[in-house]
Amino acid sequence: MRISKSFLFWCVAPAFLLFLVFMIYPTISVFVMSLYKWGGYSAAKTFVGLNNFRTLIEDTRFIGSFRNSVILLVIVSVITLILALWCANVLTHEKIKAKSLFRVIFYIPNILSAVVIAAIFSAIYDPSRGLANSVLGLMGIEPVMWLGNRGIVIYSIAIAMIWQATGYYMVMYMSSMSAVPYSLYEAADIEGASGTSKFFSITLPLIWTNVRTTLTFFIISSINISFLLVRAMTGGGPDGASEVFLSYMYEQSYTNSSYGYGMAIGVVVFVFSFALSALVNIATRRDIVEL
Amino acid sequence: MKKIISIILCLALCVTVLASCRSRNADSGNTGTLKVAVLESAYGSEMWEKVCDEFEKVSGEVNVQLTADKNIEDVIGSQMKSGDYPDVVHLATGREAALTETMIKEGALTDLSDVLDMKVPGEEKKVSEKIIPGFTETLATNPYQNKKTYLAPMFYSPCGLFYNANLLREMGWELPTTWDEMWALGDKALSEGIYLFTYPTAGYFDAFIYSLLASSGGVGFYNDVMNYREGVWDTSEAKAVLDIVARLRDYTEPTTVANSTGDNYLKNQQLVLDGKAIFMPNGTWVVGEMADAPRTEGFEWGFTALPAIEDDRYSFTFFEQCWIPQEAKNKEAAREFVAFLYSDKAAEIFAQYGAVQPIMDMTDKLSGENKLFYSVYENGAKAVMGGFAATEAVEGVSIYNTLFESVNSIITGDKTVEQWRNEIISVSDKLRNNLK
Repeated sequence: MRISKSFLFWCVAPAFLLFLVFMIYPTISVFVMSLYKWGGYSAAKTFVGLNNFRTLIEDTRFIGSFRNSVILLVIVSVITLILALWCANVLTHEKIKAKSLFRVIFYIPNILSAVVIAAIFSAIYDPSRGLANSVLGLMGIEPVMWLGNRGIVIYSIAIAMIWQATGYYMVMYMSSMSAVPYSLYEAADIEGASGTSKFFSITLPLIWTNVRTTLTFFIISSINISFLLVRAMTGGGPDGASEVFLSYMYEQSYTNSSYGYGMAIGVVVFVFSFALSALVNIATRRDIVEL
Repeated sequence: MKKIISIILCLALCVTVLASCRSRNADSGNTGTLKVAVLESAYGSEMWEKVCDEFEKVSGEVNVQLTADKNIEDVIGSQMKSGDYPDVVHLATGREAALTETMIKEGALTDLSDVLDMKVPGEEKKVSEKIIPGFTETLATNPYQNKKTYLAPMFYSPCGLFYNANLLREMGWELPTTWDEMWALGDKALSEGIYLFTYPTAGYFDAFIYSLLASSGGVGFYNDVMNYREGVWDTSEAKAVLDIVARLRDYTEPTTVANSTGDNYLKNQQLVLDGKAIFMPNGTWVVGEMADAPRTEGFEWGFTALPAIEDDRYSFTFFEQCWIPQEAKNKEAAREFVAFLYSDKAAEIFAQYGAVQPIMDMTDKLSGENKLFYSVYENGAKAVMGGFAATEAVEGVSIYNTLFESVNSIITGDKTVEQWRNEIISVSDKLRNNLK
């Protein structure tokens, strides 16, 4: 059946218009506003060129928030990836009772809102009555100030993020692992392959396309979820020690009345996440193994 | 035919999309409507509804459109960005979204000096004759130091140290009036396993440090600090203040910093109710905030000004502010409304909900714990008001973060007093060059 071009155009137009209004226009606005000194509410805007970006380079608190974001990105992505792959492999290939129950239990953290997760982990990290310090106490270890120690706080947030994300990625990996033909594993068994070599020689190459896709998800979700958890759990504290990209952007845009500067941070986050995703995509490119 | 119908349907979709983007600013030209936006704080919004009703009765023609919300910045912020401004806003400085600070920094507020000379609607007295002297001469009301009032002072609350009066009585401990006595009490309390000090969040150190500055060098010195005077942080008076905060490290309950971030600050306030810490800096709202919290038997709220560094003791007076945006459409009615807020009728309604305005003789009408809190100035403490002078927004630079949030690092020992002082000097230098 021949469909006319004008008909196609009008069909696509509403969605395209929405995309322009809610995606393209705001993105361009962020870039434009980053060139202004503006408080955000009044009509007083001053064009300052690249001044906001020059200030960013010397802003130690921004550098600290950048460092924290990168720490979370690396730690959360690597550990979640390993844990999710391991759990998915075990639940797919090992003979375990109540597999479905485990799958649901692992997935539950993903459907909880960030505020609930923050409340759960605030209770776990409570210095006097929390689960974490109670367990350490049983082992005779002094209480740890999980959210009060500048050196530890960012890792405490990383633990919450890993707990939240593992189930989601596990389910994604399980779906592609279950598509791998069982005959390959049987052949490997006959050859006397160990579980580890079966995972690295059969499972991983065959689900590699899926793993690559999730790497981009890791980058985007780490930046977003870390903001939500930091806002609810620490507010960026103590003394800015757990500040991440977006929480610092919020602080500058609103609390410090520097909306233009906040948008400059937004531009850096945009470029950084875009570039990193592209880099990861190129670095993980392999010949697709298909059967 | 089918094709035409499809095209019409698609066009209708496009029009719907565009129509949804239409401005909601349809009725802004109505001069008979007064748009009032208020923060729904611990006092609730009912009192505002009643006051607006009373104003409508007095003014006759004006129809008040009240918007009250716990996050009022989120409600009016986006409307203001699109040019739809409320006529009157009741929102204090010190909020995280800092809408009021932004309006001050951008010079986007209406001068309210003439409101002070207006007669209170329905009464004979002028507004200025009703407000307690001093309240309209602070940096919190006159941010540009040009003797013009841009923010009307509203509900006020003395800030100082809150404690369990019953605990001190039972232990036979005297209430300290100097910092030497404070440290002595701290040592005694530690031997009993009780910590001298805790604080809800580092942000609560604003009123604490303001009072200490005034106690250390007097109101003149305090004003110098608030105006970022060069070299002010090199003085012995400023050093004494920073040293006191640093010494608190030895007397602060160890879990305080861990609970001072995010929403865990109530756990720190609970330490006082549980008898694990004696003092915490706070405002009168803490009583309502902790009303349902468990407490030790016989617990009784006590409130005192900060101990003296030199001769005088000070208690910082926090107050909320009311203002009119420069872009307000109905400024005349807005001025009338602000003047009406100081009427006997409005003050009575506010007081019923525990919101006390800086109106003369209001404290005589208080009872119970409020009477104790507001009588702090009658018991020898001096009042200190206002905050830092308004500056242009300086990107990446915040005196609040540097001066107050750093306290967490001082208490944990991650920062030395010298590092702290150097950071404050550096930030003050940057802000001094951008004073409005």
